[in-house]
Amino acid sequence: MKLVVFVNDYKEPPILDRLKADKFGIVFVQNGVYHCTLKKDGSTSALLSKDAELYALSEDLESRGFKAEDVDSKVKVINYEGLVDLIFNDYEKIIWL
Amino acid sequence: MAIKKYAFIIEKLPYKSETSRLALTHAIASQTVEIYLDDGDNVEPVIAFIGEGVLNCLKDQKALDIYGVTSLEMHIKNALLLDLRVLVCKEDLEKFGLTEDQIVMDAEELGAEITTEVVPYEQIHQEMESADHIMFF
Amino acid sequence: MGKLTIGCFSSLVGSMTLDFAVKLAEAAVKKGHEVDLWLSGNATMLGKTRQSKFRDYSYLAGTVEELIKTGKFQITICEACAKARGIDKEDTMEGVNIHSMDWYLASAFSADRVFHIGGE
Repeated sequence: MKLVVFVNDYKEPPILDRLKADKFGIVFVQNGVYHCTLKKDGSTSALLSKDAELYALSEDLESRGFKAEDVDSKVKVINYEGLVDLIFNDYEKIIWL
Repeated sequence: MAIKKYAFIIEKLPYKSETSRLALTHAIASQTVEIYLDDGDNVEPVIAFIGEGVLNCLKDQKALDIYGVTSLEMHIKNALLLDLRVLVCKEDLEKFGLTEDQIVMDAEELGAEITTEVVPYEQIHQEMESADHIMFF
Repeated sequence: MGKLTIGCFSSLVGSMTLDFAVKLAEAAVKKGHEVDLWLSGNATMLGKTRQSKFRDYSYLAGTVEELIKTGKFQITICEACAKARGIDKEDTMEGVNIHSMDWYLASAFSADRVFHIGGE
């Protein structure tokens, strides 16, 4: 399956390790965007090491005082319009954690 | 004519929020969805409890007596009565030291003919994979 | 163009999740897609009439009214969830539908994508 998961909080959702898909995406939204911009105790978030396409929502980054250049290079920054395309074109099923 | 499968996956704990309750009431609403669909079309729901969500399934919930609201136990029994498949993740039950004796496994007293299925997570994953839509609570 | 069904359970005030759902709906409609927005639980308050605009609180009524005018957007609130909160038909904005939960499942049936945003 083609599955995209939305991470909306700055903690590691336990279910994330168990989810698997042929095509797997993670979109960081709301407080989830801190995973892409901060290093806690010097380490990047473990979520950025997942075998998945990674995306962060630009509007939620900017709302929290971040710019696209603050985002880890593994993560693609998209806006709401890009998110709509992602949902319709790249993935079939969606999970909001 | 089509049957679409919806996987209602419940990971949230009960009562503090109404999330898991709404999961069950929405899943049960599949029983009347036909009125909106073309002849022959229908929805096939499957309910699965994973992670902390398995704690929704504990027996002897007294929410109705204490707070005056229906318990999650009652909703699970209703789902079984309506022949909705209810799956509980085996590994997560074990993680909390729970056994089948401690969770809602049937609704015999209501006349339900099916029982709760305690299954490995892998089976729940397969249900998500074969579902047309996933509703994650 | 496709159909997106969004279900959201989060409250209008006190959470930004409903803002996310409405912004996503707006972007999808702008791209020509059809959107059904289903609101259960505390999210039903978005259907209420006479919402006031304060900058300290989320305000989505204006966007919803504009979206309804496009003809590509339907907003429906859960009847039982609304009634439990004292919201009846006469308390809702023009163009807001009220249905039982099976309506959401029916909307999902014909949707190309279902984005279910559960509770907090």
